[in-house]
Formats: sequence, C-alpha cells, structure tokens
Amino acid sequence: MTDLIPMAALGATPVRASFGPLTLTEEEGLTLVSLALPVGFDASVTEVPLPGPGGYAIGTTSVFWTGPNQWMIETRDLDATSRALAPLPDARTTVQSDGWVSFRITSEAGAAPLLDLVTKLVNLPADQLAPGRATRTLLHHLGCFVLRRSETEMAVLTLRSAAGSLWYVLSGAAARIAAQEAT
Amino acid sequence: MTQTRLPGGLIDRNQPLSFTFNGRKLQGYQGDTLASALMANDIRLVARSFKYHRPRGIFSAGSEEPNALLTLGEGADADPNTRATVVPLREGLVARSQNHAGPLGWDLWSVNDLAAPFFAAGFYYKTFMWPRAFWEKLYEPAIRRAAGLGALSQLPDPETYDKGFLHCDLLVIGGGAAGLSAALTAGRAGANVILADEDLRLGGRLLAESDPLDDAPAADWVARAEAELRALPNVRVMPRTTVFGVYDHGVYGAVEQVSDLPGAALRQTLWRITAKRAVMATGATERHIPFRDNDRPGILLAGAMRAYANRWAVAPARGKVAIFTNNDDGHRTALDLQAKGVDLLGVIDSRTGARPFGDYPIFAGGRVTGTSGRRGLRAIRLAWNGREEELACAALGVSGGWNPNIQLASHHRGRPQWDAARLAFLAQGGPEGLIPAGAAAGEGSTHHALTSGHHAAADALRQLGLTTPAPALPRAEDRQGGAEAFWHVPGKGRAWVDFQNDVTVKDIKLAHQENMRSVEHLKRWTTLGMATDQGKTSNVTALAVMAELTGRSIPETGTTIFRPPYTPVSLSVLGGGDTGAHFRPTRLTPTHAWAKAQGALFVEAGQWMRAQYFPRPGETHWRQSVDREVLAVRAGVGLCDVTTLGKIDVQGADAGEFLNRIYANMMGTLAVGKVRYGLMLREDGFAYDDGTCARLGESHYVVTTTTSNAGLVLRTMEFARQCLWPDLDVTLISTTDAWAQIAVAGPNARRLLSRVVDGFDLSNETFPFMACAELTVAKGCPARLFRISFSGELAYEIAVPARYGQALMDRLMREGADLGVTPYGTEALSVLRIEKGHAAGAELNGQTTALMLGLGRMVSQKKDSIGAVMSRREGLAQDTRRLVGLQAVDPARPLPAGSHLFREGAARDTATDQGWITSACYSPHVGGHIALGFLEEGDTRLGEIVIAANPLQGTEAACRVVPAQFVDPEGGRLRD
Repeated sequence: MTDLIPMAALGATPVRASFGPLTLTEEEGLTLVSLALPVGFDASVTEVPLPGPGGYAIGTTSVFWTGPNQWMIETRDLDATSRALAPLPDARTTVQSDGWVSFRITSEAGAAPLLDLVTKLVNLPADQLAPGRATRTLLHHLGCFVLRRSETEMAVLTLRSAAGSLWYVLSGAAARIAAQEAT
Repeated sequence: MTQTRLPGGLIDRNQPLSFTFNGRKLQGYQGDTLASALMANDIRLVARSFKYHRPRGIFSAGSEEPNALLTLGEGADADPNTRATVVPLREGLVARSQNHAGPLGWDLWSVNDLAAPFFAAGFYYKTFMWPRAFWEKLYEPAIRRAAGLGALSQLPDPETYDKGFLHCDLLVIGGGAAGLSAALTAGRAGANVILADEDLRLGGRLLAESDPLDDAPAADWVARAEAELRALPNVRVMPRTTVFGVYDHGVYGAVEQVSDLPGAALRQTLWRITAKRAVMATGATERHIPFRDNDRPGILLAGAMRAYANRWAVAPARGKVAIFTNNDDGHRTALDLQAKGVDLLGVIDSRTGARPFGDYPIFAGGRVTGTSGRRGLRAIRLAWNGREEELACAALGVSGGWNPNIQLASHHRGRPQWDAARLAFLAQGGPEGLIPAGAAAGEGSTHHALTSGHHAAADALRQLGLTTPAPALPRAEDRQGGAEAFWHVPGKGRAWVDFQNDVTVKDIKLAHQENMRSVEHLKRWTTLGMATDQGKTSNVTALAVMAELTGRSIPETGTTIFRPPYTPVSLSVLGGGDTGAHFRPTRLTPTHAWAKAQGALFVEAGQWMRAQYFPRPGETHWRQSVDREVLAVRAGVGLCDVTTLGKIDVQGADAGEFLNRIYANMMGTLAVGKVRYGLMLREDGFAYDDGTCARLGESHYVVTTTTSNAGLVLRTMEFARQCLWPDLDVTLISTTDAWAQIAVAGPNARRLLSRVVDGFDLSNETFPFMACAELTVAKGCPARLFRISFSGELAYEIAVPARYGQALMDRLMREGADLGVTPYGTEALSVLRIEKGHAAGAELNGQTTALMLGLGRMVSQKKDSIGAVMSRREGLAQDTRRLVGLQAVDPARPLPAGSHLFREGAARDTATDQGWITSACYSPHVGGHIALGFLEEGDTRLGEIVIAANPLQGTEAACRVVPAQFVDPEGGRLRD
C-alpha cells in the first residue's frame, strides 16, 4: 500500500453539501473502468451486462454505454469485475477512476427536485433522463455523463480536472432552486 | 388616488402599494402595472423623447410601449429603459424618468425641439462628417449626452440569473384567447405542452375587454382555463415568460422574469425550449394614425385606453376623452369608457359612412389635424364637415387598425405577406412547425381566436400523430374590424410615426427625396423601428406612409422582417448567470493547490490553469524567478506539472498500423518499452502536432499530444478510426485527466527519482534515453515512467494516478531538497525548450511543414500517412524557409516574437521579407536574448547577421543566425 496520500477531486476529502431536498456528494471508492470490445465480439460469454446506446445497467457492477462497442463500468470490486470480464479475452480495459469526477445527487423529496435541477443543467428531453438512462452531453461547456440511477438519484461525471467548475454549476443551480423554494 | 381611478377592474383595492416616481411618493394597488398606477395618479408626463426631448406620456398597455421608458431601482440595481407598461407594481418600487437635463417638466434639452428644423433625418450623417477627428472626442459624446434613452449604472449587475432547457411537444406562445384554447386542446390530448406568456396574468386581451364569455366575465373563464392547465401534469404554465426568438432545430429562446425584487434569489431565467411544434398566439398590436402633434401625453392607442379602463380601472386623464379611429374597434373603446362613466367627447371616424354603436357623438369622415397642450393634451383640432375647430380634450384614443404580432415568424427569414382585406401583414413561411393563431393570424374576434387556437393545436398534434378531442369552447363575440385604409392625416407640422426614435411623416418624405427607396434604407437612415420597441407601433404605418407618398401599393413598396429578440433581453440573462472566474470552465492540474500554496502565478492554457512561475521572496520581476528556475533545472533538478499534455491510450491488434497512418514517421516498429518522437500532419500536408508515442505492450501505446491540441488530436484520431479505417482493430481512450504527470529534469533527475521508485533500475544501461516502463513508486503506487526530455537535460516524466499527483510532487520536493530541487512553471519550460531548439505551438502554427521544421526526413517514404502525399506537393516541398536559432548581437536587446526578418540594409517590406521569429526569450544559459524563427534558406546561413524588425512598434534588433540548439547540440546530456 503506497504511503502517498490521495486527494479527492476538490481537496483533501470528498465534498458534500445539501441544498433543500437535494444533496450533492463527490463519490468515493468507485472504480471506473472503460471497456472496449472489438467488432464481432460475443457478449453472451460474460455476465457483465452491456446495454445499448443511452442504456445504463444498474447493479452491484453498473455499466453504461459510451460509444459503439464501448462502455464504462462502475464498480466497487475491481477484482470481481475483472473475473467477470475474463471470458472476453479481447476486451480492452482502462482504469478511469482518476480521469473522472462523479458527483452523486440525491433528492429527499421525490423526483421533482432532481428534474428541476437537471432542467437547469443539460439540454436533454425527459426520456433521456429516465431511470436507467445514461447520456453523454454538454454541461456548462463541459463534456459529461448524466446518469439517472433511480427516481431520486442521479450522477454527473466530468473530467476530474474540471471538478471545480462542475461543482460550481451543480451547487449553484441547486442553491438557486433551494432559495427559490424557500421564498 | 385621483378621479382617474374607475370602478371595477382586476386590481385588488385591499392591497394598496406605495411607490415613488421621480422622488414623489405615490400609491397604487396590487394588480396595477407601473403605467396604470402612474395614470391613476393622474401623471401624464413620464418621459422625454429621444431626439427632440418632447414631453411624452404612456402610449400603450403592453410590451410595444415606445414612450414610457423609465429607470427602475437605484445604484447597481438601476435598470434603465424599462417599459412602465410591463412592470407589475410592487411595494417600494422606485422609478424615475430619464433622458432629460433638469426636472422632467423643465428639460433644458427641450431646446432641441426648437431647433427641430435642423435635426431632420440624416442630420447627423451629413453634419458631423468633418473634421473626422472630432467625431470620437467631441461630436459623439455631445450627441450621446443630448440624445438617448437611459444610462447604465456602470456597476456590475448584482442580481442572480439562471439558465435552463425545456422540451415539449407543443409550445404555445401567448396566453390569450387563442393561446389558452390551443393549450387546452393539446393539454387535454395528453401532449407535453408549455404555455408561455409575457404578462403576469394569463388572458391576454380577454382581460382588457368587457365582452363576456358564455355570459360570464372573460376573466372567470381565463381563471378556470388556467386552473385546468395547471392541474394537468403534462402542461407547464409559464407566465412572465417572453419567447423572444426562434432558432434552428425548433429551439425557442425565452426569458422568464422570476422576480422583480432587488436581491431576490433569482431574477430571470434564460430558457432554451426545444419544441416539436409551436403555436404563435402572440396577438396583435394596435396601430396609430399620425397627425400633427400626435405625440402629446394623453394621446394613447385606443385599445390601450380600453385596457386601462377595463383591467386596471383607470381613465387616461381627467376631463373629456375622444377617440380617433378608422375602424369599428375604436368604437368599442368609446362604449367601454362610456360604460365606466368617462366623459366622452365623441368618436372621430375617418370613414365617411361611419355610424355610432351607442349613444355618443360621432364625427364621421372627421380628422384630427392638430393638438395643443404643453405637457399634456389640452385640446384637439377637429376637421369635420368642411370646417375646423378646436375642442377641449384631456385624452385621445387613436386606432388605426391592428398589426398581427408576426415577429417570431420572421426569424427564419420568413417574409410577411400583405393581406389587403385585413390591411395587415400576415406570417408567411418562417420557422418550420410554427403555426400562427388568433389575432397573430389576423383573426380579430374572440370567437375566431378561440377556434383558430384550437385548430392550430389540433393541426400541430396531428402532425405529431396525436388526436385531439372536440373542444368545448365558450361563446364569444364575433365582431369584425371594418377597418378602412387611412394611414395618416396630411398637413403641415410634424406628425410622428415612430415615437421612440422621433421619426415623423416628414422624415419619411425626406428619406424618399434622398433616394432611400428601399424600406431597409428608410429604416437605417431615419432610425425608424430601432431601439427597445423595434417599431412595433410604427413599422407598418411607416411602410404605408411611404407607399402613399410614392403612389405605390404596400406590397410594391416592400416589407420588413424582424430579428430576435422580440423584446429587449438583458446581457446578464443571456450570460445565464456565469460571470467572472466562472464565465467558462477551467481545468486544474492535480498539483494546482500545491502550486498555489507555493505562491505560483497561473496562466491560462486553453481551459487549463498552469503554474507560470514560482516567485520567491525578494524577486521583484518575473524574469528573476524564471531565470532562477531555468538555471536550477540546468544545474540541479526541476519539477514541472505536465499533466496538461494530452494522453491517448491506443489499444488493439492494429494499433501499430493505425499509428503508422496517423504519424508522419514510422511508429509500428517501435519496440515495447520504448518512446519515439512523432509528428502529425494535417490532410493538407502541413504539420499540426507533435509529441511522443510510448509502447507499453504489444498492442498498447500511449500517444502524448501538446496541451492545446489534445482535443483536436483525439478528434482527428477518432475520425480516422471510425470513418477512414473502420476495418482496423483499434480503440482510443483519453487518459489525460487520469494520470498526474510530472517532468523531472536536470542532471540530478535520476538521483531524485531513484529515491521514490520501488526497486526500479534507473541506470542508463537498463533505462536509457527514450525508454518507458510501468512500475510502482512510493511503496506501491502504480506509475508510468518515460525517459524523455523537453529541456535537453537528463529528464523523465513520471505519471501516477491523478489522486496521488499532489502527494508525489510533495514527496519529490522533500526528497530532492539536498539536490537543489526547484519547481518550475510554463515560462521556464518555454525558455528551456527554446534553448534546446524544440518546436512548440508557435512553430507548429498550422502554416509550417516538416521540412521547415528541419524534420523533413521524418515524413516516411516507406508508408502512407495522413498528409504525407500532400506534404510533397509543389509549393510545400519547395519551401526554403528553415527553423533556425537567432542570437541577439547585443545580448541585452530583446528579439520580440512576431518580428520579421530582413537582410541588413534591405527595405522592410513584404518583398524583402525573409521570415519571422516564432519564439523568443532571455536565455540565462546563453546570457542574452535568443529566439527561434523561420528564415529563408536558414540552414545555409549560419553566422549571418539578420535584422529582426517590428514595424508595428518601430523597433529593430540585429541577430546572428545560429543552430536552433543553444544547449548541448550533441545531445549528450539527455543521454547520460
């Protein structure tokens, strides 16, 4: 185990803040692995679900589509994921945990506050924001993934280096919604 | 309150509100607008006109208002040019008039009105041409002071703005009869509907009329319709939301006024609404009829007068009120005013056969030929039955017919079409999927508005595959307008067409005389139709007047189209609330916080913020810091965060072949564990990026790009992968952010690194120049190590997962204290690479070739690659300019980048131009100023003195042509 002390994307520890019914948290302990498979691969040999365009298979290991024959895996057990991918010898994996920052957004008041927030952030129609959907889009001029995990939970991923800018946008929009609700 | 307040209306008399106008404390009611409240306080003079400083009053009851532009708020919150007609009254509202010197009633600039004969249209264009130098310093400031609207506070806007995105099946623009009917139709059918209206309340003209719907007040039906719409989960009702423009792909721009209160949580939101279809139920704007002195306070649009009476329960003035009309609608105003107890002088109807609709005097075939009253209307001059007489009159309502509000339909270059029967321009063409309805479609009666709204929505939904149930619409009036063309009252004196820009009938005549025959020329020459109202009350009238003057029809005269925005939109809301440091996103390196703590100054490199240099106590000039950092690298060891360089993982069985085609030089032959310098060309054969390529495994490479081209290179490679060679088995993943990469450069680099790697042999034999490896550092941290050098010194770049970047930097600094370790920034990085003669962005500027860079042999003849063939074409292959080093003859004399190179004694012009300087710096290693540049046949001119000239600043410096490598030209240091 290295004696170098890791940093969270925005400082020594992951950020967390609540704005009315919404809570924003920098996710920690989540391993991101990009997966690419050659043309003509046999998906049936692996237990890892490989959703189609816009799809997001949510489970202990979650997978979302990022491009033709490409996916991003979210896992908290990299060894298990590696074992699951073993039947795919041509799979190209790249650990991306440090390439991205993931902010988890949860609502204590149902889906409405989440949808109010996302309306202020990304130009996506409702069907692309339904639970089980993942979309690569632009947010504050940043490339990002918007993942809808459930009615009351979503995550936004962007480049780790732009974590500060994304946090500014997310927290600012959430704060404005909370302040409006309060008036 | 005064006698101008009438009974009834949609105001809440139980909620009085205090406000001030020009410091005077006044009172209105909840439900009032600022305009109606001013009117209720019998304040008629509210503004001064743009050019002549004529007294002006409230003219309309909506967003078309040309006159009543006021400044709201104070200090940084001051909001100029706000139309009093669209501002809901609120407690404590502070309003003041603008564009006057001295009190509003005694404006010193009104002297302009006396000089009006000299200020005709085109006056400025003709008068202030000479002397030219006077324009900026004298003429323009003076004119701006005398003529204009409100003034900005010059302070940052303290309010909060937001932005957002909405999607819907049907966007209904306008919440009047047609809009409500359309929204109800679509909402009941289950479509996803957005209903937007610029007003605080839904209802549009229904709130301004006295006609019932289903025998009950129209406001009751509006309330029921709104309640139903708000209860539908598929309908979003957005009052105070102005749809201001139609853009490509069904995107509509809208501004929602969330709050008017200073310091509110949110003031406005900019919405981008993507709508599959839209109904343009934007209503109509009444026209006036120009006649002599028709701009006095107290002269209003007749429909507005009716709206003030019915909705806001206020009469336009104390005293008699007259109506001047060319259509039946003017009579509605007369009837409604009469019903409210207003003293009616009568209706002057330009139609000779006109008859009254009630018990009031009518002057059929009459004309208003003039008015009097210094700060407000006192009397009108009536020409009727062959005689003229002056009649005492406190207010005059003018109705010249109605113009459908078709502005949005023009936003995709849709050209309105003249409808001779309706005497109006109707929408034609324009944005796909935008369907006009109601008054906006020329359907003037309430009955027609309701049915056309329904039909428009049904039509839109049918196109989307949805069926609509039969409507249950209320019974409504179905009067026709009966307008007869009557565009202005001919005669002497000034008859205003455009109140906001002080354009008169005479000005239009003059424009025509000056050969401004095109309507577009007329607009620009007279300024008609400009500024905040965009000619809503004047454009069509001006066109008709011009047609009449020229003896042509209106279609022959032309038409005009409208651009966004429909009504003024603040820059603040267009910015969406992102200002200052957050105006655009920034990317921070993993060691940013550490560098900041070291006192680093930062510089933007694309979106990245990079440490520029690290000043130390006692250093008073950036050069001191940079020189120290450069010398520290050359003498000991330096550390620089180079995370920003693009990193692209290339994997797959065909990765080598793919890279052979991407790079100009051979890459597929690179051995595992080795790094090679690579050059990329564009399709046209010019060089566009360079960097290194490391082979980590049989089918695994890492491509490194320059910081600025990281995105471009990945995009180009993805295009090649997906579109040019989809048959190749290769995968690309950007890992720029995943790895924190630190350059460790200097003669002590190996000693320092050996203190952090976990049992890895760094000896020259095992890990020579251009080697790479995956290893661990600091007891198990995964890392990648590349032995590459940008500085010309023994150097490495070490990468660890980004989360450990700061810790690694800290560790290296601690471990290297005895080795003279020094952090260095981009300035020193640049000096080091110029001293070494390495090309960078300034040399790879898209206009240089491999040959020019001295890298011609890198373009492999053994294989094809992007740009290889084109690089050999005539014109590129024959380019004789070459990258050279330049050393100032006088070491203290800078060689500015961008300077052009000339032979000694030659003229300084393009014919004698020999090249240019790309990069320059002071070299602490050389002890003088040096540069890199491209010089004609530079490789054969070593030792020659050339002149670096900067004609823009008039500076010159002599410099000697030398090899580009100022440091260790043999390359011994980096291979040691």
